[in-house]
Amino acid sequence: MDRIVEMKNIIKEFPGVKAVDGGQFDLKEGEIHALIGENGAGKSTMMKILYGLYTPDGGTITVKGQEYGGLTTKQAIDLGIGMVHQEFMLVEEMTVLENIILGFEPKKSGNRIDFKKAVEKIEYYIENYGLDIQLNKKVRDISVGEAQRVEIIKTLYRGADILILDEPTAVLTPQETEKLFEIFNNLREDNRSIIFISHKLNEIMEICDRITVMRHGKHVGTVNKEDTTIPEIAKMMVGREVFLNIRRKKPEVGEVLLSVKDVYVPGERELSKIKGISFELHRGEVLGIAGVDGNGQSEIVEAITGLREVEKGDIIFKGKSIKNLSPAQIRKLGISHIPEDRNRRGLNRPFTIRENLIADKFEDKEFSDWIVLNEKKIREFAEDLVEKFDIRPANIDLSAQNLSGGNAQKIVVAREIANEGDLLIASQPTRGVDIGSIESIRRVLNDLKKKGVGILLISADLEEILSLSDRIAVMYEGRITGVLDNEQATEENLGLLMTGGRIE
Amino acid sequence: MLDNIFDYTLIPSTIKTSTPILLAALSAVITQQADILNVGVEGIMLFGAFTAVCVSFFTGSWLLAVLAAIVVGLLVSTIIGFAHLKYKADVFAVGTVINMLAVALTRFLLNTILNASGSFYSAEIVPIPTIKLNFLQNSQVLNTLFNNYSLFEVLGIVIVFILWYALYKTVWGLRIRSVGLNPDAAETAGLNVFKAKFQVILISGILGGIAGAHLSLGYSRLFVENMTSGRGFMGVAAMFFGGANPIFAWIGSLIFGLADSIGNRLQAYGFPSQFVLMIPYIATIAVLTISLASRIRKEKKQKSALNHVPNNK
Repeated sequence: MDRIVEMKNIIKEFPGVKAVDGGQFDLKEGEIHALIGENGAGKSTMMKILYGLYTPDGGTITVKGQEYGGLTTKQAIDLGIGMVHQEFMLVEEMTVLENIILGFEPKKSGNRIDFKKAVEKIEYYIENYGLDIQLNKKVRDISVGEAQRVEIIKTLYRGADILILDEPTAVLTPQETEKLFEIFNNLREDNRSIIFISHKLNEIMEICDRITVMRHGKHVGTVNKEDTTIPEIAKMMVGREVFLNIRRKKPEVGEVLLSVKDVYVPGERELSKIKGISFELHRGEVLGIAGVDGNGQSEIVEAITGLREVEKGDIIFKGKSIKNLSPAQIRKLGISHIPEDRNRRGLNRPFTIRENLIADKFEDKEFSDWIVLNEKKIREFAEDLVEKFDIRPANIDLSAQNLSGGNAQKIVVAREIANEGDLLIASQPTRGVDIGSIESIRRVLNDLKKKGVGILLISADLEEILSLSDRIAVMYEGRITGVLDNEQATEENLGLLMTGGRIE
Repeated sequence: MLDNIFDYTLIPSTIKTSTPILLAALSAVITQQADILNVGVEGIMLFGAFTAVCVSFFTGSWLLAVLAAIVVGLLVSTIIGFAHLKYKADVFAVGTVINMLAVALTRFLLNTILNASGSFYSAEIVPIPTIKLNFLQNSQVLNTLFNNYSLFEVLGIVIVFILWYALYKTVWGLRIRSVGLNPDAAETAGLNVFKAKFQVILISGILGGIAGAHLSLGYSRLFVENMTSGRGFMGVAAMFFGGANPIFAWIGSLIFGLADSIGNRLQAYGFPSQFVLMIPYIATIAVLTISLASRIRKEKKQKSALNHVPNNK
């Protein structure tokens, strides 16, 4: 087979970091090639260079026999390269059809758009690759899985025979992932080539032909699937052996801590409106909430923490209603919250580590006297936490935006745990965090449980849910479709519940 | 008295008072579709108004005057485009600077070129022609309603529909809107976001220039210091009222024009002029408040989980 893409000695620097340093990658015609590595390893940067979104500072890119120092997106598209980004590049307010043809619109006289011709062309892809989508719906009204198929059709419509997919399975249920892999196989049979960025090793072993591993912006190695094993690749990725599976202790369940009673909450989308949810959480247990992103997980968390209005129903915490109290009042009662988006809600990025660590307690007597902050106390407190949670660099005067994702997340975790609340709501606590930090954050949560704290864990990562939770509630379209004990739960039956199915 | 204020002559007078606002609104609509809030419309308009009076006075041609106003509009919008797109300046700040510059510079040029202060009027200023249809003159009502409109009072309405068509029916429009709604998606579709945004800023300059020329040679026939007196901003408000849709922005402009016309009539009945002068601005605030409140209510209803409950249980 011919090599249709070859990237050699790629260098890309951003202010302060070398994102890619000597990157290598090649792609054969009709193969599925995985590009893997931890967050910040430079995978996405490499592919954005290939797709022309970034100009490399060094190295060469050879596509179909032609050598380039760097590409523009227009060139990349003309060369048949298409990219499905991790964050979908779709205009939410426009229809699926308009999104697909954008930039490549068939025209009638008077510069009008020839929608009929466009539909004919798109139907071909829908039928041939099993990509079912609804052309006349607005993008904001379709599911994540469908949006992803729209993205794939978009690239095919633009004539791509080299497809780059950036972590496409991160937002999918196991069943949807299966479906996606079928599409991959159809595309491969049609001699199209696929670059598959991921860090889910079992998926890679299932679908890919070759695997390229990156670490800290450097090329570690490229191997054939047949010649390697999952532990070997994990070691290449991290540079050492990893143990992610926490030994979960049977919970010593105490009294009911939180009870959510038939709650209705407004949602950002139709699918994420909470339509009558009830559950109970006890002291000393971890209740996991699984589900595909956007099925109401964010909304229920915001309702409990006072960030979103509750329209109907009640939320009882330690025997008292906390429905529609302010977030500050709710915190004071003993609920801590690790928000799903650390950059939006978890941290004040330009502020220092020390300021972020006392963000919820600077008004306490301990840290302030009337209007003056007690700097000495604050420093002691912050330094203690930085040491305990191993936040690096260990300089409390550094602003939070200078920290890596994992260390930034540790600031949030440290602050929320230092609260010593009775209930911790941990929303996507390890999203976008390196493997080392995942390990330590999971251990912290598990230890907290042993101390009798109740934990509500919301995660899109099934492996995380399974390794930490004692009970697992699955959300689908704003309702709970089932609650399983950890012992009963498998990826398969959770996946079924996540898509609205039932378990007998 | 009310009969005299609210009669059919209010219709043509509303169209006349709304046209300068409409042209400004369209100038703001086109940039807003690409997610650029062009408050510089006010300044572009004032530059256009001054240029048009000057050129008309010296050459005796209204056509040259309009063309010159367009050229000046293009020049000013080029400055806005470079400052905002190339040098990443905040477009609101750039627009404000342009507006302040327009007031000061036209005052200065009024003194030096036209040797006047405060205002300039001359019989040699050739206005933009009005459209006279002789067969309508037999009926007084028809004549008042449909005759004697200045050229751009008619063309303005034509431009509303041209813009609507271009934005919602053509390839160009789809691309401009996508640049405004999600520039990243547009860029990955191989579109040149910089170029698209620059394009709409330039078109905005053309429309702003026309708005100014119409103000000084169509709506009136003179130049007065700061004669736009907020009409550019009202245009921006009308654009917001219409959610950047040219047709709804036109309706917004008509509401402001109506308020203005009623104000003018009230003045004849001895209402204090200070109060009358306030009317268009109060109308602006009222209209924006109402449209915002109804949008918030609609959004809340759309997000509510109780919306569809009866069907499910």
